[in-house]
Amino acid sequence: MAKKIGVYVCECGNNIADNVDIDRIIKTISPMRNIEVIEKHRLLCSEDGKEFLKQSISDHELTHLVVAACSPKQHEHTFMSVCVAAELNPYLFEMANIREQCAWVTPDKEEATDKAIRQIAAAIARVAYNEALEKKDIDVYPDVLVIGGGISGIRATQVLASPDRRVYLVEKSSSLGGKVKSFDKLFTKMESGSALIENELRSVEGNENVEVFTDSEVTQILGFFGNFEIKVVKKATDEERNFNVGAVVLATGFDVIDLKELPQYGYGKLEDVYTSLEFEEMNIPGGPTGGKILLKSGKPPGSVAIIHCVGREEKGYCSKVCCMYSLKFARMLKDKLPEAKVSQLYSDLCIPGKAYQKFYEETKGSGVEFIRADKTNVAQNGKGITLKYESETGSKGDLSVDMVILVPAMEPGNDTSRFAEMLGIAVDNEGFLAQEHQKLAPVASSVEGIFVVGCAQAPKNISESIVQSEAAAGKILSTLVPDRKLELEVKTSKISETFCTGCKTCISVCPYSAISFDDFRKISVVNEALCHGCGVCAAACPSGAASVRNFAFTQIYQEVEALLK
Amino acid sequence: MGDEFTPRIVGFLCNWCSYAGADLAGATKLNIPSSLSVIKVMCSGRVDPSLIFTAYLRGADGVLLAGCHPGDCHYREGNYYARRRFALLEKTMETLGLEPGRLMLAWVSASEGQRFGDVTNLFTEQIRQMGPNPLKSALL
Amino acid sequence: MKNNGNSTSVLVIGAGIAGIESSLLLANSGAKVYLVEKASYFGGNIIKWEEVFPNMECATCMIAPKQQELLQNENIELLTLSQVEDVQGSVGDFTAKVKKKARYVNLEACIGCNECFEPCPVEVDNEFEERLSKRKAIYIPCAGALPNAPVIDSANCLRFKGEDCQLCQEACMFEAIDYTQQDEEFELKVGAIVVATGFKPFDLTQTPQYGYKKLNNVYSIVEVERICASNGPTEGQIIMQNGETPKSVAIIHCVGREEKGYCSSVCCMASIKQAHFLKNKISGVKIAQLYSDLCIPGRIYQRFYEEVKESGVDFIRATVSEVTQQGAGVAIKYKTENSEENTLNVDMLILAPAIEPGVGSARLAEILGIPQDEHGFFSEKDPDLDSVDTSREGIFIAGCAQSPKDVPDTVAEAEATVGKILSLSR
Repeated sequence: MAKKIGVYVCECGNNIADNVDIDRIIKTISPMRNIEVIEKHRLLCSEDGKEFLKQSISDHELTHLVVAACSPKQHEHTFMSVCVAAELNPYLFEMANIREQCAWVTPDKEEATDKAIRQIAAAIARVAYNEALEKKDIDVYPDVLVIGGGISGIRATQVLASPDRRVYLVEKSSSLGGKVKSFDKLFTKMESGSALIENELRSVEGNENVEVFTDSEVTQILGFFGNFEIKVVKKATDEERNFNVGAVVLATGFDVIDLKELPQYGYGKLEDVYTSLEFEEMNIPGGPTGGKILLKSGKPPGSVAIIHCVGREEKGYCSKVCCMYSLKFARMLKDKLPEAKVSQLYSDLCIPGKAYQKFYEETKGSGVEFIRADKTNVAQNGKGITLKYESETGSKGDLSVDMVILVPAMEPGNDTSRFAEMLGIAVDNEGFLAQEHQKLAPVASSVEGIFVVGCAQAPKNISESIVQSEAAAGKILSTLVPDRKLELEVKTSKISETFCTGCKTCISVCPYSAISFDDFRKISVVNEALCHGCGVCAAACPSGAASVRNFAFTQIYQEVEALLK
Repeated sequence: MGDEFTPRIVGFLCNWCSYAGADLAGATKLNIPSSLSVIKVMCSGRVDPSLIFTAYLRGADGVLLAGCHPGDCHYREGNYYARRRFALLEKTMETLGLEPGRLMLAWVSASEGQRFGDVTNLFTEQIRQMGPNPLKSALL
Repeated sequence: MKNNGNSTSVLVIGAGIAGIESSLLLANSGAKVYLVEKASYFGGNIIKWEEVFPNMECATCMIAPKQQELLQNENIELLTLSQVEDVQGSVGDFTAKVKKKARYVNLEACIGCNECFEPCPVEVDNEFEERLSKRKAIYIPCAGALPNAPVIDSANCLRFKGEDCQLCQEACMFEAIDYTQQDEEFELKVGAIVVATGFKPFDLTQTPQYGYKKLNNVYSIVEVERICASNGPTEGQIIMQNGETPKSVAIIHCVGREEKGYCSSVCCMASIKQAHFLKNKISGVKIAQLYSDLCIPGRIYQRFYEEVKESGVDFIRATVSEVTQQGAGVAIKYKTENSEENTLNVDMLILAPAIEPGVGSARLAEILGIPQDEHGFFSEKDPDLDSVDTSREGIFIAGCAQSPKDVPDTVAEAEATVGKILSLSR
């Protein structure tokens, strides 16, 4: 079919008209191949400019459109809408930037005109080779898999579950509630963690839109955003359940650093050196000591030291919540044992936000001792324990206590690496899963549709974990709308079956893992649901099989040739 | 050489950073030599060596490859590939009789209008000093 | 919130990164969003920074795609120069009265060519540039500000003060300047409201002992952000009031912390970022940071701190006792942990202030009928369980309006409000 390209040059008031010779542009461009019409207009983006354009496209039965005006970043979408209104495929349209990158920066009018002519000629040459792309969409499952039944997983489930969206909540242990269930008190309100969990579970257990799996593991996650194939196995019976979901929320929580690797703290060697988790357990009303704080001997301690930042140096990061819960411990101690001497050894006090400093000041005010110490050594001393500590200025000190509570660094839960591998998500030096964007996408992982929340994402407190769960829910609710298809990127990569040699170079460079290898046909295949259209594969492909729709070699070549004529 | 030589430079600018930086240079009405003609690509990582060589073979005196600063790539890593290709290209160009100085790689962010102006001016002057593309007379 | 049985509609107050993120997610779900912003531009505080920690990513580049998406999204109505005056009703059925100040520039006609500035005879301090440069009475705050259209500052414009000046209108080729524009008031019917009004820095004149606005070459970190900005008053050149580039810099953390009574979460990192930037920008510069406790929580901040420390920046745990002028620079007297007294002489002193709730928070709290805490931050319904909800159902809070926090936490809260709103509207 013959090409009929319409070219419209915008005067942009006098912004372009004053700085380039539009008449000369028209005169020079008119004779070019396939030009059906070339006209100028005062202001194409105005209402009557757009109407004029729409009418002209119809009148001249144009097959392609070129608009020479401002930057496409300003009005490409405006004119694409005009194309749609005029029933011209909006991808058979190109803009030539003759304002920001020409009229506004080239003082000499002749030079500016020459440059404008080159850029317009390039757009014309290119558009003739554009493909008439169509928007694509795919069916999606609105349902969600939540892995991990702690506070994060529970809240995510609550916010997501609805009659048109099923949530599958998988927990590896025999009950829901995670770590928070065994915290007797939570900062700053000093209320019960188990009561909190009980309350939260009310809207999950018995919720007909939620299916809970306990004593179970997720053994398979295949597919992509909108279409994941899940396999869950019940550990005791090896019973398998298969189902499809649109998104996955990883809420696998945290573990603490192995204290046996830090012998200077005496953990596992000295009696009465406890980790924070052990101390939490001790305080549970129904626990082994009936909620009383007791030494191994059965007596209550007369003096307790809480050592912050245990393992921080080894891990290389600050676990954020420990200063606050150490203050909580001090309060619990003072509450149950008012006569006990409580000392806290810390290096930097991390108490960010509007409420925490007050909590610290009140704790300090209740008689708790704060000692800045960089290195601490814990050793047996007769029936008790002696701490030898050193501050960063070099001054040394020692402290004799009955009980030591070690506040250890937090790590991602030990399932995290298994899921990272299963999902193809990179893990950083500290073991945390790679994010889509460090600042702007905190709960989205590098794989679209997989969200990482709570302490699995990074150490954080309950409030922040809950916010992240709700955030993941927000992202999912916004994009996986029941009965609505997911719109895909149009200018995606495609790989020619004929030319693909199966070298897999494209697979190795794709930042989105959007290309997979078809073992049967021995070629690489692009998943258009994941492709962002960056073109790195096309540039890397040695055989030219990979190419980006409307950014193919042919199209760009036309621009190069026209610019250099 | 001489004053009549006006360099013809083709610039491959990435959509997200450098093209926006060039637009900003425009909005602030800087003076940019008209010797630079711009081709917009989605990512500097899209620009494969054959496109760059094509530019030289069609007579470009210089080629500018501009992308987001390392770490800022809209597509995460595309600009790292651009950087690697550039390093390889510099080595290969000499075998074709082209001075490596005819290819420039620049990181320009969306807020660096002035920098875009500086880079263009610098490169244009550099090419002016070097003279026309030596392949031009041989091929065209 | 099904509004009148139709689709969800939401009012988002504040178009910084939190407001932008909520708006985009809500709009993409099909909801109608009214994004109300009191300034003439949108992007809040984040567009004032050149780079953000810890990857030193260009802030404007990072935000630009989101801003473009927002401007092009048909479900989002961005109302700049607007403020909420009244809110009645309840969740699912709020009526909000919004007052929109006249821009005196027609947004549809204006193409952002900036031709109208030059002829304007009035010059005043540019608030966006922290008064480090001037602007005209018709202006955009900085190059690249969006929407790309100027506003007339009627308080300083000669015409609005009674004189017959129309130089800007004469310079405009698109008849976009309209002196007859009036302030508008309209009613919005929405199902939910998100408050994302951000923060403002602590007023450093309240701690005169550090010399701000009293001694030469003492700066607030927010002023330094603009000095570093490539689209700022010095185009990114690090020059002080005396025209010189500093050879030595000190940054004091936690200014105002004692007065405010809380830790502002981000200033340690912002200070470290500033040190990193300056170290790379000024060859051979000596930088020292004076702090009491280093707040660098999370998985990547400590690594950044260690890299900056390794690059030669001095970190000194100290309490500052006195700052005095010493020639062109300042002398900082401080006491370390072991009570040693020392003096540090530098060319440039940068103060990192505490952060407070944004301007107008008290008034907004009253209009919305939601409580504030003793520091003026909007109070959450429950600090543990419902930190983006308020006591009034249907009204949510996100970002620094709720409590000082960094960008990732702000974005998470903005996304959380969307989770809450969309799950309620089932």
